[in-house]
Amino acid sequence: MADSNIILRTEKLVSGYGATTILHGASIAVREKRITTIIGPNGAGKSTLFRAVFGLLPAREGKIMFRGEDITGSAPRALLRRGLAYVPQGRNLFGELSVAENLELGGVSLGSLALTRQRMGAVFERFPALKLRAGAQASTLSGGEQKMLEVGRALLLEPKLLMIDEPSIGLSPKLVGDVFALLTGLRDTGVSVLMVEQNARAALAISDDALVLQQGRLALSGAASEILDHPEIGRLFLGGGLKRA
Amino acid sequence: MSDIVQLFVSGISTGAIYALAAMGFTLLWQTTGTINFAQGEFVMLPAFIMLAAMNLLDVGLLSAFVISLVVSMVLLGAAFKRALVDPMAHHGVLPLIIATIALGIFMKEAVKTFYSAEAQPFAAFAPEGAMRIGPVSVSIENIAVLAVAVVAILALQLFLQRTFAGRCMQAVAQNRESARILGVPVERMVLYTFLINAALATLAALLVTPTYLAKFDNGESLGLIAFIAAIVGGFNQMRGALAGGLLIGLIDNFTAVYISTQYRHAIPLILLIVVILFRPQGLFGRAEERRL
Repeated sequence: MADSNIILRTEKLVSGYGATTILHGASIAVREKRITTIIGPNGAGKSTLFRAVFGLLPAREGKIMFRGEDITGSAPRALLRRGLAYVPQGRNLFGELSVAENLELGGVSLGSLALTRQRMGAVFERFPALKLRAGAQASTLSGGEQKMLEVGRALLLEPKLLMIDEPSIGLSPKLVGDVFALLTGLRDTGVSVLMVEQNARAALAISDDALVLQQGRLALSGAASEILDHPEIGRLFLGGGLKRA
Repeated sequence: MSDIVQLFVSGISTGAIYALAAMGFTLLWQTTGTINFAQGEFVMLPAFIMLAAMNLLDVGLLSAFVISLVVSMVLLGAAFKRALVDPMAHHGVLPLIIATIALGIFMKEAVKTFYSAEAQPFAAFAPEGAMRIGPVSVSIENIAVLAVAVVAILALQLFLQRTFAGRCMQAVAQNRESARILGVPVERMVLYTFLINAALATLAALLVTPTYLAKFDNGESLGLIAFIAAIVGGFNQMRGALAGGLLIGLIDNFTAVYISTQYRHAIPLILLIVVILFRPQGLFGRAEERRL
């Protein structure tokens, strides 16, 4: 893969929590304007990788390159300004604040309330359901609406790369479809997407590339369709019971 | 009837001062997880800074207040955060609590040693006397204290609810990790919290000291009341701290007159026990949420 279309690269990244090391020298490359899904067993370091890249965990060793620049050790605020956005797993809204206030906070790193308001208009256009609930407390939204709000909040910055961790968790199959449709829509407008997803088969089905993490290292990478059809991977990571023909 | 109105006004006015200290206490807890057991001393010290400024620099009360405000924001705000809370925070809540208790003792003993162990008279910022409102007469000082406290509380609420920086502080209080992920300058918001707490404490000192006189151990009862007010109102709600402070002020004044001055310090403790027994989340608190 030529370096020019690599948007994110980690080189021998070592990171973890406290005394526990989770990533043991993970080297990955994520291509521009693609959907890349990371799969791997529990504890392989998928979420840790996101947190280390986003500056929430220290990179003890190794290097992180984003759009050709070394971002190792950069704080989230600086990364957001460079076009990297992160939607973590679980609920990340400010439940006591309104939908509009949550979105507004998404624009804090823009440093301009006027620009934030303008971008909010675009987010509301993309998610009409959020516009209808703009004044409602975020905690009163349905699970799907909350996920939309989290994604919308990240899109406010018009990121180049969106890292999204387990977007489908807790959502009904119909809403999972909506979220995946949203991600492919983003990809088609030129946003790169890096996703960790429990629902690996469905995620790979909409992905261009796949990375397989195992014990804190990259075990395999390739086209999502290849990984999806890889007999060994299928047995190991995509649900052993469902052996593919 | 007139007595009751007077008591009510003085109770609310005392309570508003307690509320200032309690709201600062709650604010610190919510945004930083600091339970500041030196909060009473944070009200005591600014009074002595004002006294020192008036005596040494020969300035008026208002200038002394401004000097004290600046010094307190530096010492009890920024330096408190940098030198005590930041290094202690990652050891957990309890070591931090013990550190603040130690700080409180240190401040108390330092004032006793280097200033005086005697209670110092402290000028009231409002004229003495009473004014008549219809058939009742109320103390001008009470009304003035109430007015200043209400303006301060409203200003704080407006800042938190209506300004972007205020909402960023709320975001930090509700979910620090999410705030960081969105690029909220978490450390700066935390610093603001410490500065606001120091400012509230200084204002409380200006308002409360004319009544209690400036004494090194004033913080003991004030700190306890701020703590109880915060618990009674609901530990995770600013308006709870406000209500708790007002309630204790009222009970305090009515107890002193209708029951006994000897029991007035026991009443907040009894109130605390009753609330913890029957409504442990506080009057306004709800489990698992934080609101500024």
